[in-house]
Amino acid sequence: MNCSALRGGAAVLKDITLGQYFPGDTVIHRLDPRTKILVLIVYITALFFAETPVTYALMALCLAAAIWISRIKLSVMVRGLKPLVLVIVLTSILNILYTKGEPLFSFWIITVTREGVMNAVKISVRIIMLVMGTFMLTYTTSPIMLTYGLELLMGPLKKLKVPVHELAMMMSMALRLIPTLIEETDKIISAQKARGAEFDTGNLFEKARAMLPILVPLFISAFRRADELATAMEARCYHGGENRTRLNVLKLRLRDGMALGLSAAVLGGVIVLVNMGI
Amino acid sequence: MESNPILRTENLCHVYSAGTPFELTAVRDVNIEVHAGEVLAIIGHTGSGKSTLIQHLNALIKPTSGRVLYEGRDINESKDSIRAVRGNVGLVFQYPEYQLFEETVYKDIAFGPKNMKLGAQEIDRRVREAAGFAGVPEELLERSPFELSGGQKRRVAIAGVIAMMPRVLVLDEPMAGLDPAGRRDIMENIMGYHRETGAAVVIVTHSMEEAARYAGRMIVMDRGSVAMDGAPEEVFSHGEELRAMGLEIPEMTKLQIELQKLGIELRGTVYTLERMRDELLRLERGRRRA
Repeated sequence: MNCSALRGGAAVLKDITLGQYFPGDTVIHRLDPRTKILVLIVYITALFFAETPVTYALMALCLAAAIWISRIKLSVMVRGLKPLVLVIVLTSILNILYTKGEPLFSFWIITVTREGVMNAVKISVRIIMLVMGTFMLTYTTSPIMLTYGLELLMGPLKKLKVPVHELAMMMSMALRLIPTLIEETDKIISAQKARGAEFDTGNLFEKARAMLPILVPLFISAFRRADELATAMEARCYHGGENRTRLNVLKLRLRDGMALGLSAAVLGGVIVLVNMGI
Repeated sequence: MESNPILRTENLCHVYSAGTPFELTAVRDVNIEVHAGEVLAIIGHTGSGKSTLIQHLNALIKPTSGRVLYEGRDINESKDSIRAVRGNVGLVFQYPEYQLFEETVYKDIAFGPKNMKLGAQEIDRRVREAAGFAGVPEELLERSPFELSGGQKRRVAIAGVIAMMPRVLVLDEPMAGLDPAGRRDIMENIMGYHRETGAAVVIVTHSMEEAARYAGRMIVMDRGSVAMDGAPEEVFSHGEELRAMGLEIPEMTKLQIELQKLGIELRGTVYTLERMRDELLRLERGRRRA
């Protein structure tokens, strides 16, 4: 017998990594989620100020340093960019076609300009760095910490009657239910297949109709789960965020101050450099 | 039981997430046979691979290696063979009531036959017949399946598979979550289908009692492999090994072991109440005669 004679793994929905979090124990992982969110905002702002090659290089250096410290594999980062290829290609083409300036060469009705190419490169680099920066946040912060951080940062909005706690709770519950629902979908698909359902035949309309036997039970079970969860929370006296305390309270530490200071310095540096025209 | 197997696995292996750190061998070199018209119980602890195994039987999962043969033909051979086996080997999942979706019970039961591209008359005949087998009363057919009770929903879901008139009916924990009366009734209905159509029935369960009551043969799975395969009597005589696999032997067999300790020897392996009664009466009569 040989179980080792593999014939390719089954492509079940479960295999999709939805939770993007890669657990680790680096400084970046340990940073307060609030710090990471704020640093990301500063980083994105700086990215939009960056104009010149030098400033772009500076930003790239910061990103590379962060990736290196977090020990997230570069291949993982690049894989995450795949869905963006189309967006990048499209914006590049549009930029090349519609930017006026010093012509590099002409072809039929298309004139490619120096400025166009420059713009295309700049925008592409900006998108890639933007997305990679956001990945740094979601790859190194668990979803729970992320929502907690958001809740704390949005805390002042409570004064404006924004239901901050409720929003955060909804978000963490949604995150919690995603894997469960995926598993459920898998099961329902199998069950309907066992009754002879086929999902990959027919025209678009037929294919859409074929989704009904999956969607109806899925929605019903999602509602059922939500209902059960609400009852269970009520039974444990949940009544919103008022006077609610946490088991693990977040505390800003020295490293958080340093991270914030450093990113502020980079933002300032980028603004100064761009204004000096470097 | 000497007939040719209708369904058979050949060195079946299944590995989940092969080549990743989460690699897990769920089914390891499994060779089982299902004979036409028999009742077979597959027993095993949670995670012993029984659910993965049965999903191979109608090509819902492709084997990592090995083959599944229906009437001697590899079921994963082509799209047509897969379609054919889905009609011939009916699979009822755990908690099947969660897959109901149609507006009426009738339409839901008709989903399978419709997918088989049968004529309207034949569909109608099968829906009514399947409803009868599964114990769904006629007056429920035009109701919405979502208004029914849990037990009724389960029956509708089982009827939905029976309506395909499978030659092998595989049920994964068909009685889970039902009360004792409901469990018995559903099993009686399934056995009715077995008796009247001669279809083979494969029940996956971890209840030894139920396996013993209905099955003519039992397969015990342990960590992805077949640990035992034989008549209930034979399987239950290996009480210690079963316990080591996290399985319980039937209460009556436990009683027999206790009696044995007291010096009361019963014949064979006793695993039903009826058998225990007969054995004890036999002993009693023998004692009186002596």
